[in-house]
Amino acid sequence: MKLFKTMALTLVCLLLGVAIAWQYNSVNENLVLAQYEKKNLSQLVEELLVERKNNESLRARIEELQQEVSALKNDENMDMKYVEDLKKSVLMARVMAGLETVKGTGLVITVESGGQIKVKASHIQELLNELKASDVQAISVNDERIVATSEVREAGDYIMVNGRQLVPPYTIKAIGDPDKMEKSLRLMGGVLAKYQVYEFNVGLEKNENVVIPGVRDDGTVIRTDKLTPVIP
Amino acid sequence: MVKTHRILMFMVFLLLGMLITLQFRGVINTSEGNISVKEMASRLEAEEAEGRKLLEELNNLEAEWSQLLDNIGSRQQDPEIMELIRQRDYEYFRAGLTNVRGDGIIITMQDAQTAGDMNIEDYIIHDADITGILNELRSNGAEAISINGERILGTSKLVCAGPTIFLNKSRYPPPYVIKAIGDPDTLYNAIDQLSNVAIMRIYGIRVDIRKEYDMVIEKYRLYESIDEWLSSLEVVSE
Repeated sequence: MKLFKTMALTLVCLLLGVAIAWQYNSVNENLVLAQYEKKNLSQLVEELLVERKNNESLRARIEELQQEVSALKNDENMDMKYVEDLKKSVLMARVMAGLETVKGTGLVITVESGGQIKVKASHIQELLNELKASDVQAISVNDERIVATSEVREAGDYIMVNGRQLVPPYTIKAIGDPDKMEKSLRLMGGVLAKYQVYEFNVGLEKNENVVIPGVRDDGTVIRTDKLTPVIP
Repeated sequence: MVKTHRILMFMVFLLLGMLITLQFRGVINTSEGNISVKEMASRLEAEEAEGRKLLEELNNLEAEWSQLLDNIGSRQQDPEIMELIRQRDYEYFRAGLTNVRGDGIIITMQDAQTAGDMNIEDYIIHDADITGILNELRSNGAEAISINGERILGTSKLVCAGPTIFLNKSRYPPPYVIKAIGDPDTLYNAIDQLSNVAIMRIYGIRVDIRKEYDMVIEKYRLYESIDEWLSSLEVVSE
């Protein structure tokens, strides 16, 4: 009987030891995981969704091209389609470069100093970055189209965009999803909140017919003199 | 003696029971948390791998497509078509849809190795640091810019996403490698003297600038079809 008791106690203590060790380990692991999870789960999901969407458009684009390639190989209505396609791709490239005047739904934002602080290039730059982050398709500042080579800089009392001096009030036009753009501008601590602190007078208007002019095409904004195309 | 023994036994078993319960809950929680994070990470990885494969496939198809078009064009010897092909190549080149070659600078930015006793935020690179550099490059005549191989256009998205940045349509971790084609000396001096670069360097963020000759900057990767691109904007002819 005594032997039995001792054995039972030994067994229980052994079990207890194992359990404590196991528990300790798992608590430790949980802490590490929880940290990882907090930091990354929502981010991971977001990234996964973006990646999926990218892949979907890639697949759609591949399918479209495959059809075009096989149509080209089979010489279907070739002449007509060929010329049409070429014209379309020229137009698309010109739209992408910012050379064409475009119209669409978007926002018209006006910014002007309302007190001591002047509107500076960096203030406008911050607004432009925020708009670009909300998938904008075309932007202009006082009708100067923002293209790949557009700078926004200080020039005395003015700001300079595309090598031209602009005077306030500054009117920023953006074509894109107006709700998405407005939401990101109105974020807590966002651009509009800062503008309020600076006492800027800000106008924000959603418009279905925002017209954004193309950039001037004289080689001074879209510059290519130092570039050579690499033909594959 | 027997009583103490009993009390001791009772306590041991009580503890054991509690531990087992805790452990069970722990195991269940762990496996749930484990699966979601790990699986999400591996799904993301798989999706990214798939994306790279698709992109390569698209590149090959594009090459085949433009080759076919060129063949047809040259076969036809039609001056109108030859002119259209020339126009298309030129506008693709200006829009950033063609790889380009030229002289310029390469800027490599890397987060500080160790954070000091100030705000941790000051030791990592932010989107504003990069957009500031881009603006300076543009002000000094840069003609083509890419970051980590991603061509930067007028509407390119550039935002912080945790410790990484989101560029155009993809996410990139540091180091950030900015390539710019323009006059190498002008660009080098402009970036080297930028006050924000000096501030970053004080915090231990590494900003290496070097002049590079005859380098290639990749074209903008177009995910959408031409029609998709044009559908969202109405072109107003003058």
